[in-house]
Amino acid sequence: MYKVEDLRFKYPKNKDDVIKGISFEIKEGEIFGFLGPSGAGKSTTQKILIKILEDYRGKISYSGKDVSEFGNDFYEDIGVSFEMPIHFSKMTAMENINFFLKLYKRNADVETLMKRVGLWESKDKMVGEFSKGMKIRLNIVRALLNEPKMLFLDEPTNGIDPANAKILKDLVKEFRDAGGTVFITSHIMSDIDQLCDRVAFIVDGEIKEIDSPRNLKIRYGKRELRVEYKENGKTITREFPMDNIGKNEEFLTLLQTKDIETIHSGETTLEDIFIKVTGVGLRDESE
Amino acid sequence: MKASRVWVLVKGELLRLNKYNIFAISILVAIIWGVMLYFVNSTILATLLPMVLLVDASMMSIMYIGSVMFFEKSEFTISTMLVTPSTNAELVLSKVLANTIHNLFSSVLIIIAFVLLKDVKLNYFLIFVGIVVTTTFFTIFGYYMAYFQKNFTGMLVNIMIFAFALLIPSLLYEVHVITADWFQYVLVINPFQAGAELIGGGFKDYVFEWQYYFSLAYLLIGTVLVYRFLVLPKFHDYSIRQSGV
Ligand SMILES: Nc1ncnc2c1ncn2[C@@H]1O[C@H](COP(=O)(O)OP(=O)(O)OP(=O)(O)O)[C@@H](O)[C@H]1O
Ligand SMILES: [Mg+2]
Repeated sequence: MYKVEDLRFKYPKNKDDVIKGISFEIKEGEIFGFLGPSGAGKSTTQKILIKILEDYRGKISYSGKDVSEFGNDFYEDIGVSFEMPIHFSKMTAMENINFFLKLYKRNADVETLMKRVGLWESKDKMVGEFSKGMKIRLNIVRALLNEPKMLFLDEPTNGIDPANAKILKDLVKEFRDAGGTVFITSHIMSDIDQLCDRVAFIVDGEIKEIDSPRNLKIRYGKRELRVEYKENGKTITREFPMDNIGKNEEFLTLLQTKDIETIHSGETTLEDIFIKVTGVGLRDESE
Repeated sequence: MKASRVWVLVKGELLRLNKYNIFAISILVAIIWGVMLYFVNSTILATLLPMVLLVDASMMSIMYIGSVMFFEKSEFTISTMLVTPSTNAELVLSKVLANTIHNLFSSVLIIIAFVLLKDVKLNYFLIFVGIVVTTTFFTIFGYYMAYFQKNFTGMLVNIMIFAFALLIPSLLYEVHVITADWFQYVLVINPFQAGAELIGGGFKDYVFEWQYYFSLAYLLIGTVLVYRFLVLPKFHDYSIRQSGV
C-alpha cells in the first residue's frame, strides 16, 4: 500500500533532521504499528505520509504511485485521527460528523459507527462537554466516515480507559478484517502489542527494527519455561530451557511429582524487546 | 473546484458563525449603529450613514474574518480540513464567501432600519454592489492580514493602526488641510477611499465620475490579486503553523 524509501525530514526552524532516512513498507490489509518513545518522530512520519508536511526528502509511494502525484481526491481513500482530538467544540457530535460527512463521496453508516463506540446517546451533546475518551472515540468515527481504504491513527489509545481502548482496538481489527490497512502509532507497547501485524521500532528518527511481534518475540525472547509449584507450603519457581523440553528428565519428573501451580513460557514482552533492541526505555519519565 | 463542496463548506462556516455567536455580535453592532444614527438629524445622517456602511464593510470585515480565524486556530480544526478532499482554493473561497454573506447581513439590517425609519432614498442595486464589492475585498484582505497576527489583541491593535493610517489622508483632504489637486489621485489608491466611492454611489446625490469606475475596477481586481497571489500561496504554510505541526 505504502512504500517509503530513505525518508528524511527537517522542520523549517530546526537545524537537524528529525526523520533520518527511514525505509519501510505498509502492506495492504495489515495493521502496521509505529512504536517509539516521545519525540521519536512518529507523528511527524504520519503527517508526511498523509501529505500534510511536504518538504521531505526520499520517496513515498501509495498504491504504486508517488504520493506527490495525487490530487485532493487522495483523501477520499484516507482516514486520519490526529494525536489531539480535533472538533468544533461548540457544535454537537452529530453536527460535527454531518459537516465532515458531506465533504466525501463515500459515506459510512454513522449510526452504526456511533453506536459501536458508545457515542450514539451523546450525539446531540456539545463536543466541548465531551470527556477526553469521548473525544478520542469521536475522532475515530470521524476518521472512518468516508469508508477509507487506509486508516492513520496517532496514539489512539493514549489517555483512555481499558474498556474504551478495547472498543477501539476491536474496531481497528474489524476494519483490517474487512480489507482495510492501518498505520497506528503508540509509545505504550502493551497497548497495541496484540493488535499489530507488524511493528517498527523508531527511536530518534531512525527505525531500529521491523517485524511481526511474534517473530520479534521468537528472535529476542528468552526461550524458557517457568514452572511454579508447591513444596512444603512454599511456592518454588524453576526455569527450564525450551530446547528439547520433552526430553528434559528433571522437568518431566517435576511435572509428574509436584503440585504444579503455574507454567509459563518465558515470553518477553514487546516492551522488553524494544529496550533490548534500542537501548532506550519507551515511556516518558513524566508518565 | 467543486461547487457542491464549496456550498457545503459555506453552510458549515455560516452555521459556525452562528454557533460561535458572531452573528449575534454583528446584530448587536447593527443595533448600536442604528440607535446612534437614529438620533442625529437628517443632514448629518446623510453623511454619517455612508460612513457607517463603509466602516461595516471594511473594518468590521477585517475584524470578523480575523476573529473567525482565531477561533479556528484555537481548536486546531484546520488540520482536519486539510485531510478532507476539499482543496485549498475551496477552503479559502468558502470562508471568504461565508464572511461576505454574514457581513452583508448586518449592512442590510442597518439599511432596512433607515429606509423604514428615516425615509432614506437609496439606489438598492448600487448600494448592494458597493457593499458586496467592498466587503469581499476587505474580507480577503483581512484573511491575508490574519496570517501575520500572533494573538487576538495584537490583531485588533494592528487593524486600528492600519485603518487610521489609511483614513487620515482621506480626512486631511476632506477638511482641506491638503488642497493640492493631485492628491485626489493619490487617494484613490486607498482601498477605504475606493469603498467610500462605491458605497456613496448608492446614495441619491452621488456624482458619478471616473473615481467611481476606477474604484470599482480597483477593488474587483484587487480582490482577485490578493486572493491569487497573497492568500492562496501562503494558505498551506499558514494552516500547518496553526495546526500545531
Ligand atoms: N512544529 C515543529 N517544529 C519543530 N520541531 C518539531 C515540530 N514538531 C515536532 N518537532 C520535533 O520533532 C521531533 C519528533 O516529533 P514527533 O511529534 O514526530 O514525535 P512523536 O514520536 O510523535 O512523539 P510523541 O510520542 O510525544 O507524540 C521532536 O524532537 C520534536 O521536538
Ligand atoms: Mg506524536
